This record gives sequence, C-alpha cells and structure tokens, in this order.
Amino acid sequence: MSLLSAESRIYADAGPRSTWKSPWRRVTVIGGMIVAVVWLIVVFTVQWWAPYSPLEAVGKRLQPPSWDHWLGTDALSRDVFTRTLYGARQTLPVSLAVIVTAVTIGTVLGAAAGFMGGKVDSLVMRLVDVTFAFPPIFLAMAVAAALGPGLRNAFFAMVIVWWPIYARLIRGQVMAVKHRDHIQAAMSIGATRWRVLHKHVLPLSFTPALINATLDLGQVVILTATLSFLGLGAKPPSPEWGAMITDGAQFFYQWWIAVAPGIAILTVAMAFNFLGDGLRDALDVRAKR
Amino acid sequence: MPLLLLGIVTIAFCISRLIPANPLTSIVGERALNNEKVVAAAKARWGLNGSLPEQYFIYIKNLLTGDLGTSFRTRQPVTSDLLDRLPATLELAAGALLVGGVGGVALGAYAASKKDRPADHISRGFALLGSSLPVFWIGLVFLFVLYARLGWFPGPGRLPPRTKPPDQVTGFYTIDSLLDGNFTLFRQCLWRLVLPCFVLGWAYMGQLSRLVRAAMLDEINADYVRTARAKGLAERLVMRRHVLRNAWLPTLTILGFSFAQLLTASVLTETIFQWNGIGSYAVQAANTLDFPAVNGVSLFAGLAFLLANLTTDVLYAVADPKLRLA
Amino acid sequence: MDVNSLDVSRSYCDTCQIFNTAVYETLITVDPADPNKILPRLATSWEGNADNTVFTFKLDPAATFADGSAVEAADVKWSWERLANLNAPASYLMSGLKSLEAPDAGTVVATFEAPNSAFLPIAAASYLGVINSDVAAEQGASAAADAETADKAEEWFLANSAGSGPYTLESYTQGESLILARNDSYWGPNKPVFPRVTISQVKDSSSQLQQLQAGDADIAMQISLDSVSQLDGDSNVSTSVVDSFNYVYIALSPGAEGAENLLDVNVRKAIVKAIDYDGAIESLVAGKGKKQASPIPNGFVGSADLELPSYDLEGAKQMLSDAGLADGFDLDATYPEANVYGVDFSLMMQKIQQDLVKVNINLQLTPVQFPEWADRINAKGIPVTAVYFAPDHTDPSQYIQYFGEIPGSSWAVRAGGGEAGTPLDNPRESELLATALASSGDARTKAYTDLGQQMIDDAIIVPIVNPQLVLATASDITGMHYSACCNLDLGLLGLAG
Repeated sequence: MSLLSAESRIYADAGPRSTWKSPWRRVTVIGGMIVAVVWLIVVFTVQWWAPYSPLEAVGKRLQPPSWDHWLGTDALSRDVFTRTLYGARQTLPVSLAVIVTAVTIGTVLGAAAGFMGGKVDSLVMRLVDVTFAFPPIFLAMAVAAALGPGLRNAFFAMVIVWWPIYARLIRGQVMAVKHRDHIQAAMSIGATRWRVLHKHVLPLSFTPALINATLDLGQVVILTATLSFLGLGAKPPSPEWGAMITDGAQFFYQWWIAVAPGIAILTVAMAFNFLGDGLRDALDVRAKR
Repeated sequence: MPLLLLGIVTIAFCISRLIPANPLTSIVGERALNNEKVVAAAKARWGLNGSLPEQYFIYIKNLLTGDLGTSFRTRQPVTSDLLDRLPATLELAAGALLVGGVGGVALGAYAASKKDRPADHISRGFALLGSSLPVFWIGLVFLFVLYARLGWFPGPGRLPPRTKPPDQVTGFYTIDSLLDGNFTLFRQCLWRLVLPCFVLGWAYMGQLSRLVRAAMLDEINADYVRTARAKGLAERLVMRRHVLRNAWLPTLTILGFSFAQLLTASVLTETIFQWNGIGSYAVQAANTLDFPAVNGVSLFAGLAFLLANLTTDVLYAVADPKLRLA
Repeated sequence: MDVNSLDVSRSYCDTCQIFNTAVYETLITVDPADPNKILPRLATSWEGNADNTVFTFKLDPAATFADGSAVEAADVKWSWERLANLNAPASYLMSGLKSLEAPDAGTVVATFEAPNSAFLPIAAASYLGVINSDVAAEQGASAAADAETADKAEEWFLANSAGSGPYTLESYTQGESLILARNDSYWGPNKPVFPRVTISQVKDSSSQLQQLQAGDADIAMQISLDSVSQLDGDSNVSTSVVDSFNYVYIALSPGAEGAENLLDVNVRKAIVKAIDYDGAIESLVAGKGKKQASPIPNGFVGSADLELPSYDLEGAKQMLSDAGLADGFDLDATYPEANVYGVDFSLMMQKIQQDLVKVNINLQLTPVQFPEWADRINAKGIPVTAVYFAPDHTDPSQYIQYFGEIPGSSWAVRAGGGEAGTPLDNPRESELLATALASSGDARTKAYTDLGQQMIDDAIIVPIVNPQLVLATASDITGMHYSACCNLDLGLLGLAG
C-alpha cells in the first residue's frame, strides 16, 4: 500500500546486499525487467494490435471469458482485455510523470534548503513536516476533491504528496557533502553553488533518488488506482485500472471485470519493487559512501 | 501540540468550506434544494448563516468547551459519533497491527535464518506481494473467493446477522461479548475480524518483514554475533539473544509510525468490509460535506498521529539503552 | 439505509417511508396493488367538497397510540401543523393549507386556499403520520408557527417513538441497524407477527443476496437486477420482480453555461431521439425495466395514453443537420456519483455518451459527489446531468411542481426558465395544473395527460428507464409487496404456517 512508502528509504539503506549470484536476485530482476518492458511495449503499440476498441460496445454484455473475449465483456459490452491493455496508457504515464515531477521539485527545494540553510531551510523543512503530518491518502483525497476529479488533478494531488520525500533526501545529501574538504575547498576558490550542486552533489544523490524513484513508481501506480477507485481519478469512460475495479465491484458475480485490472496493477507494482531492489544492489549505495 | 491541533482544525475548516460544494444536499435532500423556505430554515438550524469568520469563531468557541457540533447527516453530536465508532476502528487496527507486526517480524526473522534458501524466497515473495497489492482490490477478491464462493470466512460487517450487539461496555465487540460471558459471539466476532485485519495488515507485514530481514542479516554478520557463535552458543540462542533483540529497534521505528498510517489505510478496508468505524465515517462525512464531522475526523486523525509519534518516542527511549542514558 | 431523521415530520428518505409506515400511521393509505385506490387507516371515512378545497376525515374511535391513549383529532391537527411549520423537506406537502380544524375528537377538517385534488394522496404519504402530541410535546416538540426554531425534539426521536403503528422504535445505530419492536397493544386489524424487526445496513447487493441465501436475512431490499438470476432454483428464497414507480432520467439545461446549442428545442428533441432506450435498459438493469414517456411515472394518473420515446438515429441526425449542427458539439455532463434503484449513474452516462457520439455530440463526463453537484446545478447549471425520482405520494401533481417549466419548479430554475419571459417558460402548464387540481375523475386524468405531453414537448427531462424492483424474501415470509405511498408496509408481513 502506498501509505507505507515513506519507509522505502529505510530499507533502501538497510541490510547486506544480495549479489547477482543470488538466484532470487537474478530471477526477480529479470522477471521485473520483462514485465516492465512488456507494459512499455503495450503503452506504445497497443493501438495497432489490440483486438477491439476500448470504448465501443462489442458483442453481448457481461460475457464470461471466451475465445472471442479473452477476459470477457463488461456491463456496456466492452472487451475487458482491450480495456486492461489500454489502461496502461492511463496509469503508467501519469505515474511516471508524478515521480519525475516530484523528484524535480524535491531536488530543487531540497538543494536550496541544504545550501542556503537558515530561513529557506526551515521554511522548506516546515513544509515537508506539514505534508508528512497529513496521512498521504487524506491529503491526496482533499486535493483531488478541491480540484475536482480527473487524471490531471490526481497528478497534482500525488505530486503534492510525494515531493517532500525527495526534498528530504536531497537535502540530506547536500548537508552530507557540504562539509567535505574538497567541496569546502572548491567553494573557497570561488566555485558557484550551482557548480558544486551540479558537479558534486547531484552525482552523489542520483543513485539513492533513482532507487527510491523506482521503488516508489509501483506505489504511485497503486495510489493512482486508489484515487480512481474513490472516484477522484480518471473520468469515465477512460479505461483506468482503478476505475475499472470500481465498475467491476458492482458486478460481484461477473468477477472477470475487476480481476484483470487488479492483476495489471499487481504486476506493475511488483515489477518496480523488484527492479528497485535490484538496482539498489547493483549500484550498492552503501559501498560508495 | 494544542497549536498544531488548532492548525489542523483551521486547515480542515478552510478546505471544507472553500470546496465549491453545497452541504445542504445532505441536510434537506436534493429535491428540497430549490425550496427557499426549507433552505433558509436548514441554514439557520445548522449554523450556516453567518460569514465564514463568524462561523469559524463560533466553531472554535464551541470546540474549547469540548463541543464538536452536531453532524448534518447523523443528527447526533460528532463527539458521540466518533466515540461510537472508535472501538470498531481500534479493533481493526489492533488486529492488523498484530497480523502485520507479529507476522512481519516472524516472516523476516524466518527468512533471514533461511537466507537464500527456498523458504527465504517464498517468504520474501509473500511479503512483496503484500506491498504490491491494492488494498481495495484484494479485499474484494478475498470476499468473492473466501466468502461468496468457498464460504470459509464470514462476510462483511462486524456482527453476525440476526445478532444483537453485546451490552455496550467498551464498545469492542470482542471484549464486550467476553464480559457478557457469550463465548459463541466472541468467536464469531473474532472470526469476522480475520479477513479485514489480514487485508489491512498484509501490506504492512510486507514492509516490516523486509526491514527485519535486512536488519537481522546485518546483525548476523556483526562481530559480536560471530563471537557469540564462536563461543559455541546454540544458533537458536544466538538468534534470540542477540540478533532479534538488536533488530528490534528499526522495527519499533516503523511500528509506531505505522499505527497512524494504519488508521488511515483503514479508510479503504472499512469501506470494502462495511466496517462502521472512523474510516468509513470519514469517507461519508467527506462525500456529504458534513462540516462538523469532517472537522471532527481531522481533529481525531491529527490527535492519533501525535499520540502515535509520542508513543514511538517513548518506546524508543525504553528500548534503546544509548538513548536512555543520553 | 438512507435515514436522514427518525422524526416523522423531519424525515425525507426511502427508508424513512418504511420506518414511518411501521411506527406512525396516516389517516388513509394507498392500496399496494393499485396506486390510485385509497384505503382507510386511522380514518374510517373521508371526503372532499366539490371544488377540492375542504377535506373532512372521520377517525376510527378504536385507534390508540402504543402507550394506550386514544388517537384524537387534536393529535392529527398538531402533527400536520408541526410538519407545515418545521419547514422541513417534506413540509411542502402541506403548502396551500389555510386552516386545520378539530370540531370534535373524531373529526379533522383541512381547508385549502386553492383547489387541491392532490390532498387525499398526500394524506396517505408517510410523512403525514400522526404523532402522540402529548408525549412529543413533553420532549420539546412544538407545532407552533415558530416550530422551525422552537422544536427541540429531533434527537429524542432518534431513540424513541410516539406513534400508533404496529411497531415501535427499539433502537437505532446510524450506519448499522434500525430495530423495531412489536406494538403488542396494536389496535388495527392486522396484528403484527414478529416480536422484533431489524433493518440492517448491508451495503452491496451481493452481500444481501448471500445473507438471504444463507438464511441470515429474511428480506433483501436491494438485490441487483443483474444478480437476481443467482436466486433461481433456490427453494428457500422466493423472488418476484415487480413494476416500480421510480425512475432515472437525464436533464437538459439550456440555461446552463456552455449549453447554448440546447436552446433550440429541436436540438433537445434530437437528443431524445438519439438515445437507444432499449439498449440502455438492457445495459443498466439487465432488461428488467420499462421505458417511460413523461416525468409522470408508469402507473400514475396521466401516464397511460402518452407515446413512449423511441430510438431514431437517422431522425436525430436529420434534426441536428436542420439545426445546422450536423458536425456536432461538446457538452459538459457532470453528474452525481450514485447507484439508485439498481442503476449505476456512471454506467448510464457512459451509455448515453456512446449513443450521442453517433450524432457527433460529445459528452464530457465528470462524476462528482452530491454536494458538489448541488453547487454546480444551482450556480452555473449543468448542460446534461442525471438524477432519479421516487414518488413522495401518489398524486401526479408533484411531477409538474418539480419538473414543469412553471414558476417555483426546481427544474425550471435549473434548466434556465420558469419565470415569465424566459425562453423555456410554459404558461400552459400552470393553467393545466390549476385545472387538474380543481377537477376529479376523467377531467383530472385528461389534464395530467396533457401536462405529460407538455413536458415531453419541453424536452428538458428525458426519463431513461423505469426499473423494476426485486422483492426477495425467505420463502416462509408472506405479504411481501411494494407500495407506492409507503415503500414497504411491515405491518402486512407475516409468517407462513
């Protein structure tokens, strides 16, 4: 569940590394990569090979899985398999955009806080604290409710929830390197802050941020679906996974409607968990410190 | 702390009033919305007449006397609404914490002790599954498979059908039924807790077991453990005396932190399992824009968060000798 | 359960109708088998004068409240005046009341300012249930002109009742259960059978179905029309699917922001033609529903002789192209998130969207919660939206008062008309309504039929489906029914054998 993702950085920094020799690591990373690549291919090419249109009625309604409709049809006679595939086009780009935006905002504010210190620092960190004090799902719900439903507003809500994680991370990195001798030296001979940031801090921060981002991507996918499930995400008739589960929940005995999008979410979240873990091992954060 | 609570109430008050929406639907119903007389009467009765600062001032004044106002929807004082529902949520959260906490530590410790063996892989996979599943979806799947199709577990809700709640003492149905000496009801209530607690606790179990496993592996490789092992201490004893005890600290951090998070994750679980607790109350309050209830719930969530943080700090101080000395 | 209040005069909801009918009694009631037939309850006889302005009721001298005291005309007067003066959602039922008299303990006379043929059906509405005025007044209830502020009894009514019905309120836990206990000294002919009736909150249709099949519930009120087939062949359960008087509709508001194209009545009529009603009924309620001609529901006076809407894609395209809109246009369609009478609004709006796209009209669907919807509909307006309606009583006048393009009607204000001089104003409807309220028999039926046709021609309210209703009970329950005035009268239920 996304609510616990603040913890991801705790375990990202804990424990000895499994090595590539470990069969667990090999299987999970390769598996995760395959799943991620498959979904990426789906996102870019689905319009050329999907069996049906995701929005049009085809055949009879509420048909169980069959040869013609691999995952059956929903209440409006739309093909569930097609809709699940198209769902990737809703969820994945938004999730990716959330992470990229959150990382960017977090980096800028975190670096500013770390370098400038004083008032800027305490202002940014106060903001971070306040955001953390609100339970993520409540915050996202409040923002999405205030802005109205829609995937774009859900995006804003999720960025507001996620940026503080990265602000804190980058600030920590800045604070850690700021006092190192070579940085002090560089600054004393007139290197600009921007240069220090660019040359020294960012390369060091990149790895933990990348690992966190990968691990969080799965959680953002879940939160996107959760907001849609609560009616705050994608608007109908778009085949967003969470919204499809909401639709399916009403047709309890037509289980196939809700099962496919759930499994889609599960595969994506799992794949990014695996990849994040693998990335952490491969880049071995701790060894570099 | 009072200041933070005031801040939370103020933010909740502002957000709920600024959303372009009309709470009168939940008071007079959609059809009477265009009836001026009814609307005027309802506004007067429910304190929606004055300007926003006026309303805010009255709200805070009442708050200081312990009056959270009367819910538009239930027509009962918000305080009593919250107190009525608190035991349901606490029962759920405690159960989930038990599943997640005990399950997570056990799973993590077990995985660490079987490092890189099939048992390790299976438990890591199980843990990871928990944190990759959307709570609302797995809740539905469990209900469909384990309740509707197989009938192994009871359906949604806190009480078995055709049963009157036990006499209210604590509001916890499990405890109250014991106090009544009604063991059948106790068993039934406990049984009804299993699915929602598992759904809620699984995600948490996943996070925790990874953490415990990692912490334990760190400890297993630490020098003093190697020494202890070299001294010939039995593996089991090494595990219990040294490894588990030191792995306890990081566990504590996440444990306390998670309690507040569990309370909020219960929003989804309560909705799926028709649990008449604070989580579902919050959702209904938000959906109907029941101002007094929305503010009351926010206040409650803030309080829970602060308390959980405080408890963690205290536990941490107790558990960590270094901190205690300092 | 959608209970908003257990104070009969403040309540206004579907579950309230069941509760009110079980615990309080009205003077007259409606035959569950025929919505247009009135039966005695607290009153043994009733009559209106020739121009429908004065109504006289004679009370049954045997009638007693649950505490044993007699039901007197003063209680009726007090209860009705309280309803009128509370300015609660159901208070509109008493509008136009000039005076209420209780010349003796057994007679009630209601006089209206203008003809009001609707009053007998209204008197059967559960919100006009009679309260034991002595008991309630002791708890702070007031019927005076300032009852709106003076009455302090609402909270008391959440835990107590003071009626004459077959059951009394035992306890109520919001969101969980409403428990009724048998009124052992019930005065009426149908003695209540069950010592206790519990109405439980079971949110979804599938859990209700499970509980019914497992014998954990005796009656399930919301079995979805899609899952009713799951009950086929289960000998422990008896089900029937009956016609209801509820319906869901979409509303077109030419006065809303961004709805200028809808000002042309032919564009609205084209939209009416472009909807595939049979397909919608199949998709939304598994075919278990009916088409409905006008806002007056099937089975009510004035509904019988109107032409049902029909799907005519080519006709719709032709009308749009005549209006110069062959290329189509976009419309905002904000609707409340709801699932009512088994119809999911999201599904319905997606279906309408699929249909309208074929005439190049693109609906932008935005589901919102009811409070947001209410703000939008009454501020900027919403070009296309979806709502539902269940009758408060069995007189058709409520549909004109709410849907007609006449002053004071909700949908006149929302759609952007109603006042004299606005493009949607339909003065003919005001005249016809006055005629209908003053007349009886065939003249009344004719007036309401004409009103139905007027509202069809307005093309503001487009009923999509009049869903049927699943009555599902354990097989040993007798007397299950659906009543137009009261939803379900628990007093009529019994046990076989």
